[in-house]
Amino acid sequence: MNKDKELSAATPWFRHIQDLSSRVWVLQDNILTAVPRKEQTVPVTITLLPCQYLDTLEKNKGDPMYLGVKKPQSCLSCTKNGEQPVLQLREGNILDMYHQKERVKASLFYHKKSGTTSTFESAAFPGWFIAVCSKGSCPLVLTQELGKTFITDFEMTVVH
Amino acid sequence: MGMPPLLFCWVSFVLPLFVAAGNCTDVYMHHEMISEGQPFPFNCTYPPVTNGAVNLTWHRTPSKSPISINRHVRIHQDQSWILFLPLALEDSGIYQCVIKDAHSCYRIAINLTVFRKHWCDSSNEESSINSSDEYQQWLPIGKSGSLTCHLYFPESCVLDSIKWYKGCEEIKVSKKFCPTGTKLLVNNIDVEDSGSYACSARLTHLGRIFTVRNYIAVNTKEVGSGGRIPNITYPKNNSIEVQLGSTLIVDCNITDTKENTNLRCWRVNNTLVDDYYNDFKRIQEGIETNLSLRNHILYTVNITFLEVKMEDYGHPFTCHAAVSAAYIILKRPAPDFRAYLIGGLMAFLLLAVSILYIYNTFKVDIVLWYRSTFHTAQAPDDEKLYDAYVLYPKYPRESQGHDVDTLVLKILPEVLEKQCGYKLFIFGRDEFPGQAVASVIDENIKLCRRLMVLVAPETSSFSFLKNLTEEQIAVYNALVQDGMKVILIELERVKDYSTMPESIQYIRQKHGAIQWDGDFTEQAQCAKTKFWKKVRYHMPPRRYPASPPVQLLGHTPRIPG
Repeated sequence: MNKDKELSAATPWFRHIQDLSSRVWVLQDNILTAVPRKEQTVPVTITLLPCQYLDTLEKNKGDPMYLGVKKPQSCLSCTKNGEQPVLQLREGNILDMYHQKERVKASLFYHKKSGTTSTFESAAFPGWFIAVCSKGSCPLVLTQELGKTFITDFEMTVVH
Repeated sequence: MGMPPLLFCWVSFVLPLFVAAGNCTDVYMHHEMISEGQPFPFNCTYPPVTNGAVNLTWHRTPSKSPISINRHVRIHQDQSWILFLPLALEDSGIYQCVIKDAHSCYRIAINLTVFRKHWCDSSNEESSINSSDEYQQWLPIGKSGSLTCHLYFPESCVLDSIKWYKGCEEIKVSKKFCPTGTKLLVNNIDVEDSGSYACSARLTHLGRIFTVRNYIAVNTKEVGSGGRIPNITYPKNNSIEVQLGSTLIVDCNITDTKENTNLRCWRVNNTLVDDYYNDFKRIQEGIETNLSLRNHILYTVNITFLEVKMEDYGHPFTCHAAVSAAYIILKRPAPDFRAYLIGGLMAFLLLAVSILYIYNTFKVDIVLWYRSTFHTAQAPDDEKLYDAYVLYPKYPRESQGHDVDTLVLKILPEVLEKQCGYKLFIFGRDEFPGQAVASVIDENIKLCRRLMVLVAPETSSFSFLKNLTEEQIAVYNALVQDGMKVILIELERVKDYSTMPESIQYIRQKHGAIQWDGDFTEQAQCAKTKFWKKVRYHMPPRRYPASPPVQLLGHTPRIPG
């Protein structure tokens, strides 16, 4: 009974994510990249799990979510490179993070929804958002400049 | 001496080539399928390599010679870009870009496939089937959306004159469509807006003009109301009455969009219920269930109290669904008001009945006790000489008369006068000699508080024959004067009062009668027996010596005759 409950409660959500210009997140050489979607494009399946332990997390910023990649199993992680935060993929399972009581802030993002669009703000680096360039194909980065060079609004599509 | 320098030179010559060739890391290979005849750019970027001092060269495999950097050549390198102005069928192949910096070397490849495609040319239907170069975009039904014309070229290219087409027809500005920059805004989207679109742009490069064309396959799809916060239909911040020690299951019912990524859970003190009660599992969160409806999903998550304890009362257990929250508070059941009311009423009735029964049973004793205890408060000085006027039948036969006379002249004075202190006026004993009968009765009754009438079954005929006038006068006066109380004593069981005078009947009906038991023994002369208690009860409160008597007529000796 308890195990069934755990499985039921801890099933990640699977989503494809794209920006408002239909550039979809793909995995290229283990780097998350946004590319214009074509017939042969293979979107990456992003896994999301909510953070259960909310104390000390900021209110009104959206739902704290762990973000990961389904295959190969890995986590989105924010770390510092010099003076600037960078986004990278690290090997790991967000289900493990989901269950442990200590928050893994590096892989935690405030998921804020506005209509059908979402933004993802880093919990480890408040004010920094997952972003992509405005044209062409480019990797996912972190930016704190909203509404300027980078695009931070995304749409999620359910994956069955 | 000449050999060492030569060897050194040889080693120097070979080593760089070896490093350059062997240490380049092959990175992701891109695949591009594109139709001939239009400009095609590709930018060589690799995120780990920052914009430092790097050496970047393009070349087509298997050739080692680099792509020309002369911008007037059809295929040339423009900084990090490789540019085809325009594509030709023979350009299919693999092109590689080598990025070198001080520490590393990366090789990025693109596998380019160029095919022939005739757009909106009915004479070549087969060529139009190839859709591998089409962009895929979608529009939300019932809302507004936009399509994007992807134009990404080096700065040496100038782009303008963007046009949009649906099928083969150019799209003009209308309520439905509004071209804006590289986007086409679409309003009030419905299923018919799906289909084949295209966008074209004019590209100018060093004075030469080209046409860029993108093909877009558009799908429409239903979307939810999007990002609507979940609706918790139960609980409603309400309280629940539950007995201590009982089991309780409460469902949290939530309606949410199909695309939601919301966590649904129960918390207490902002802690997950399963964690807060982890030690004993006394309170647990149940399994989440869901029911898919057309536009949304109905979720249920319950909280189970295996045994409600005192500590559970009074503080909230909260169901959360993203930013939505609603709580229950447990309360002990209020006592049943009706049960208390009925119980109280029954108790009151029982008490009342008990009191009435006790009073009826011990009324005589209670009153007598009260008189003896609070005698100073009673016995008002009403200027009456006698406590009672005793009227009794007289019988011609000696035997019956003897019994009555014994009671009246011996026992009555013994108990009421000697033992109880009352003063009696006994007709036939205390009247003055020679007084007229009417006069005697009238005058003396006025001096008395009570009229004591002794009756017997044969009284009526006896009275009629001899004492009719006497009894009638006495009773009449008693009834008229100040509502004087009459004490009726039956010497024998009188079964039928109908033969009695009407006044006697009236008294019997109104005041009842005391039954004389006919006991002439010594014991019967005790004031504490039941009969005498009743007589005393009906007698007036006793006067005590402190009250000064108005007249002292006392017991005048009876004159015979």
